[in-house]
Amino acid sequence: MSELGRMQKSFAAALADASQALHAAGLFRGAPEDAIGRLAVYRGNVLANSHKALANAYPIAVKIVGEEFFAGLAREYLRRHPSTSGDLNAFGERFADFVAAFPHTQDLPYLPDVARTEWLVHRAHYAKDAERLDVRRLASIRNSAWDKLRSVLAPACALFESCWPLARIWEVHQDGYCGEFSVDFESGPGRILVYRPDLRVQVAPLSVGAYRFLQRVAAGDSIAAALVAALGDEPGFDLPAALRAWVEAAIVVDFELG
Amino acid sequence: MDAIRTPSREAPCLGVGVGLRSVHYRNFLEGRPGTGWLEVHSENYFGDGGYDLYVLKRLRADYPVSLHGVGLALGSVEGDSAGHVARLRRLAEEIEPAFVSEHLCWGRALGQHFNDLLPLPYTAAALSLMAARVQELQDSLRRRVLVENVSTYLEFRACDMSEGDFLGELARRSGCGVLLDVNNLYVNQENHGSDARAAMDAIPAAAVAEIHLAGHFVGERCLIDTHGERIAEPVWSLYGAALERFGPVPTLIEWDTDIPALSVLLAEARRAEAAMKEGTHV
Repeated sequence: MSELGRMQKSFAAALADASQALHAAGLFRGAPEDAIGRLAVYRGNVLANSHKALANAYPIAVKIVGEEFFAGLAREYLRRHPSTSGDLNAFGERFADFVAAFPHTQDLPYLPDVARTEWLVHRAHYAKDAERLDVRRLASIRNSAWDKLRSVLAPACALFESCWPLARIWEVHQDGYCGEFSVDFESGPGRILVYRPDLRVQVAPLSVGAYRFLQRVAAGDSIAAALVAALGDEPGFDLPAALRAWVEAAIVVDFELG
Repeated sequence: MDAIRTPSREAPCLGVGVGLRSVHYRNFLEGRPGTGWLEVHSENYFGDGGYDLYVLKRLRADYPVSLHGVGLALGSVEGDSAGHVARLRRLAEEIEPAFVSEHLCWGRALGQHFNDLLPLPYTAAALSLMAARVQELQDSLRRRVLVENVSTYLEFRACDMSEGDFLGELARRSGCGVLLDVNNLYVNQENHGSDARAAMDAIPAAAVAEIHLAGHFVGERCLIDTHGERIAEPVWSLYGAALERFGPVPTLIEWDTDIPALSVLLAEARRAEAAMKEGTHV
C-alpha cells in the first residue's frame, strides 16, 4: 500500500472510531491534542451528514421516536452499517432490520414495518417516470390473446404486507393531516400499495383480493391467473372497478402479451 | 478523447447564481425569480425519475444549470466509482449543464464512504492521483470539469507544496478548470495561517471558471464550512481581490444548512453582482 493509502486508512480509522484518533494525530501539524479535537470535527460532520440523510428517508420514524432518540439511532446505525456510496440518498437501506434488532426500540413493535414502508416510499420518490396508459393499445389485441394479457405496473409501485395498519400510520403522520390522531393497532393485517401519481408518493391500503391480484401481476402472471388467485382470497373482488381506479391513478400503466 | 469543451468560453456572462435546494423549488416554479443561473448537487438528481428531476428539467428551460458533485471523492486511493460516474454522465447528457464540478478531496477508505470532503496531503503522489482521476472523469464525461478547493480543519505534515500550488499544478496537468471557493480559502487562512491571496496568485488566472461564496461557522477550535450563514465581511473583501485577479467569473451563492427564505440568498447575490460590476471593490 502507498504512503497516501496508509494516511487515508489511518484518518478513516479515526473517523470510524474515536479511540483511533491518537494514532492518527501524528499525521497532522500542530499539537496532538489539537489534531484529536479537529478529527472530532470531521467525525461530527460525517455523523451529521448521515443523520440528515437518514432523517430525510425516515421522517415518520423520526416523529415516532422523537428527534433526540432518532439522533442516537442514527449514530448507532452509522457505526454498524456505514455508508458505502457517494450518494447519501442510498444510505439507510438496512435501517428497518437494524431497528427490528435494536434492544431499545422493542417497545415499538410496528417500527420496523413503518421503516420498511418508508424505504419503499423513498425509493418510489426516485423511480423512473411512467407514461400513462394509452387504452387504444387494447384495440389491437386479438380475441384469442385476451387470456394471456398482462397488466404492467408503474416503476414507482411497491407492495407490502404487514400485521400492522401501515396505511393508517402513514396517513396520520403526513404533514398537513388534520383528522383524528389515532391508530387502531388491532385492526388486523395491513396490505399496502406504494405508488406515485403526479410525482408525489402515496401509500394506500389494499383489500386482500386487490393485494393478491397486484402481487401476482407484479410477479409476471396474466390478468386471468391473477384474477383467479384474487377471487380465491376475496370472492367479492371487483376487478373492473379496481382496474379503472388503478389506471386513473397511474398504477397500471400498460398492458402487454405474455 | 473528444474535444473538451471550455465552459468559460461557452458561457462567459452567467453573472451571479444561487444554489437550488428543494425548500425553494416552489419559489422557482411559481415565480422564476431573476438570477443568473442555478447550481445543484448532482447526486440529488441521480434517480431514474421523480419530482427532483422533474423540477430540474423544468427550470433548466429557463436558467443555465451547473452540476456540482459532492460524492465522487476523487482523491481516494481506495474504491471504484464507475457507477457514480455513469449516473453523472447520464444526468449531464440530460441537463446539458454549463459546468460540471467536483472537489479536491478524498472520502473512501476501509470499505466505507465517509460522505464528507476530507483533506488531501499536498504531495506529488496525491497530485498524480488527482490528475489521473480528473482526466478519467473528463474523458468519461467528454468535457472539462472544474475542481473546487475545500475548507480543511487539519493539515498533513507530509505536505510539501501549498494548496494554491497544488490546485494550479492540477489544472495545468489535467486541463481541468478551477472552482475557486473564496470562503474556503478564508477558512483555511484562519485555520492554518496560510495566505489566501498568495493561494489565488498561485492559480493560473485562465483556469478559474467559477467562484463560490458561502458563510462559515466560527467554532471553538477552528472555522467550519457550514454554508449556514451570511457571507462574512473578510470573505467579501477576498472576493473583491478574486474579481480583480480573475475577472467577472460566474459566481454562486451557496447555502446548505438552516436555509433561509430565497430572498436572503438573492440579496447576497445582488451584493456579489454589484461587486462584479464595480470590478475591483466590494
